Amino acid sequence: MKNKFSLRRAVNNMNLVRFRFWFQIAAFAFIVYGGYIGLDLGNKLPTFACVYNAEGTGGKCYVGMLQHDLKHPIDVFMGYAGYAFLISLVMFMVWFWVLNKGWCGFVCPLGTMQDWLTMLREKTKIRFSEYSWANRGKIKSIKYILLFLLLLLPVMIANSVFGIPKLPNGLSMPFCDICPGRMMIPAFTGDFNQFYIDFSSKTDIVMTTIGMIMTGLFLAGSFIKKRFFCYFCPMAALQYIFSKPALLKLYKDGSKCTRCGDCYRACDMDILEIADDVTTKNMVTEDCTLCLKCVAACPEEGCLEANFMGATIFESTKEGFVLRMAMDQRGEKHAH
Amino acid sequence: MHTELTIETPHQRQNRHKAMEAISVLNALKEDFKSPIRSMGYFYDLFEKVYCRHEPLHEGKAKIGTMCIQIPSEIIYALEGIPIRLCNGFYTDDEIGSDLLPQKSCPLVKATVGWFASDNFSDKPDITFSPTTCDQKTKAGAIIGSFGHTVIDVGFPRTKESEESRHYWRESVKSFAVKLSKFQGKKLTKSNLESAIKKVGYAQSLYHKLTEFRKAKAVPILGVDMFLVTNAFFFDKIDEWIGAVEKLLAELEQRVNDGVNVAGKASPRIVYTGSPPIFPNYKIPLIIEESDAIIVADETCSSNRMFNDMVAVDEWNLYDMIDSVSDKYLKACTCPIFTQNDDRIRRIIQLVHTYKGDGVIYQAFAGCQVYEMEQRSVLAAMEREGIPILYIESDYSPSQHGQLTTRVEAFVESLKNRKRMKK
Repeated sequence: MKNKFSLRRAVNNMNLVRFRFWFQIAAFAFIVYGGYIGLDLGNKLPTFACVYNAEGTGGKCYVGMLQHDLKHPIDVFMGYAGYAFLISLVMFMVWFWVLNKGWCGFVCPLGTMQDWLTMLREKTKIRFSEYSWANRGKIKSIKYILLFLLLLLPVMIANSVFGIPKLPNGLSMPFCDICPGRMMIPAFTGDFNQFYIDFSSKTDIVMTTIGMIMTGLFLAGSFIKKRFFCYFCPMAALQYIFSKPALLKLYKDGSKCTRCGDCYRACDMDILEIADDVTTKNMVTEDCTLCLKCVAACPEEGCLEANFMGATIFESTKEGFVLRMAMDQRGEKHAH
Repeated sequence: MHTELTIETPHQRQNRHKAMEAISVLNALKEDFKSPIRSMGYFYDLFEKVYCRHEPLHEGKAKIGTMCIQIPSEIIYALEGIPIRLCNGFYTDDEIGSDLLPQKSCPLVKATVGWFASDNFSDKPDITFSPTTCDQKTKAGAIIGSFGHTVIDVGFPRTKESEESRHYWRESVKSFAVKLSKFQGKKLTKSNLESAIKKVGYAQSLYHKLTEFRKAKAVPILGVDMFLVTNAFFFDKIDEWIGAVEKLLAELEQRVNDGVNVAGKASPRIVYTGSPPIFPNYKIPLIIEESDAIIVADETCSSNRMFNDMVAVDEWNLYDMIDSVSDKYLKACTCPIFTQNDDRIRRIIQLVHTYKGDGVIYQAFAGCQVYEMEQRSVLAAMEREGIPILYIESDYSPSQHGQLTTRVEAFVESLKNRKRMKK
């Protein structure tokens, strides 16, 4: 029989929901307030650690940096600015490779906020919404379109592309303008200054208005749909491009899968492949947030696992499943 | 002593015949094998009580009949009903049903229809829910209804990959829950469904622990005993079943420590699949284990398929629990009625690997079309994997015992040879 007190067993039997809840709180505190105690991971983090969060951050979002890096005339970009861009990108990749998409499921403050809203909804007993499979397929591409725009628009400020006139300077941070993180994250430090519509130029009016609408959608959307915003997140798109060599992995052993769909039911991002695909090993898909809820919800021994540099760190077990679902004891006698 | 002579009524005759069938199987289980398990006594007694003495188990309670395993027992327990699964294994009932159904029908369906036709139950179902699984079960529901029983169809899809099927089945289960709730005059609530899910989940977890023991080199429990344990779940009081399995687990743990092996050292390990062995039709499983092989795992709806997959709930609210329960009974199901059967093939292969099976025995009832039709694809898949497989067609009649024994023994012998060659 297995050793009753082994560490591996304790980890596999853990209550992932509770672990993740506290981990997310810690990560949130670190990202939002870390600077107050002198912690700073720089401004190339692969997660929404908002640059508008004026002081006290424990690190800043790379998407902000990325837009900034691209706002150079082409000849400057071919010189020193290009090097700066490459160095930033490499730093982003290195950070990302450590946790892979786990940045989304465990660190991202915007993701965490959505999970809090989900908890709030759960308390109110309001049913969550799901996208139909067909619609899910359609909205998948939106995040790539957003990514493309946030890369292109800053370039077009300093350069004329295809003869189109140069764009106004107000578009230098096009994604940040519409990102709900810009308003939501500083709010946690008591800074509500981002909730405004900037009337200084037409571009600013448009962008800040979209920003306000996006924040409203973010709050309402993630109340009804789990991880509503993540479907559209260009950071997720950017991350996925570099996901293959990352160190943290979600592996599936298809031969052990019964396609019971328990993992799919647990998945906040409704990723169907996790349940239905029995041939692919690496299950980190573009929408995956590596929250590992699927691993916790899988009743098959060793079918799903979180793997760090080739070592299994958390895997599905029958015992763990039964404990997490509280099916390990008789329960109350029924009053027949 | 003076005994009054009376003429036996048809019901008494039917019961006597059924008792004879039942007792011969129970005696075989009790006496034909070495190292019997003490705590199996509970199950032998249970079956004797219900099928030999025809004593009711659930007097005064609402008995909810179900055909097939797709009607969620969680919801029935939550609404304080007793689920009684009506799949029948008696040749006596099969013969009665033969007059009412085409000759080539499946014996399980004929036996179930025959049972209803004779209206002779120890625990008569007050209402029956019939999932529209295979053609024969679907039609049987209507035929049984025509005898004056309340039978309600629960629409079951035949493709399980599509989103439409999932929605359709979820709606079916909801409507089943509403109908049952009306019938019972009880409300399905978050708390009663949650505790039912956890109770059935606990029962399942015990089954999983039992199967763990069967992975070992020295197998402490016979396959036929396992079938009896899982068949008991069809009609037993769940709390007593749980208690009995807990005791059985404790005894098996002891047996493992003592190194007890119910089979021989060289006995081939068999994975059993196909039409479900339902008490007392243990014809093939008994022949297998009497031929010095041991059934270490199965892929049938009377055992492994019924217990294997568990309900996972993400948000413990009523709507999510019902959806989770629905999904479990559709998505995980490996019934051959579905259009695609890759899941079933993968499952058999996986069982062979996990339980270190030496071969597969695939049994189909004559007339059980879907299992018969799938035979080829399963055989081809096993051939690709290099797993020996024997396909047998049988029914409930006691007639071909000799012929079947010869075939099974030959297969078991060939597996033994194969094992020796490997060494």
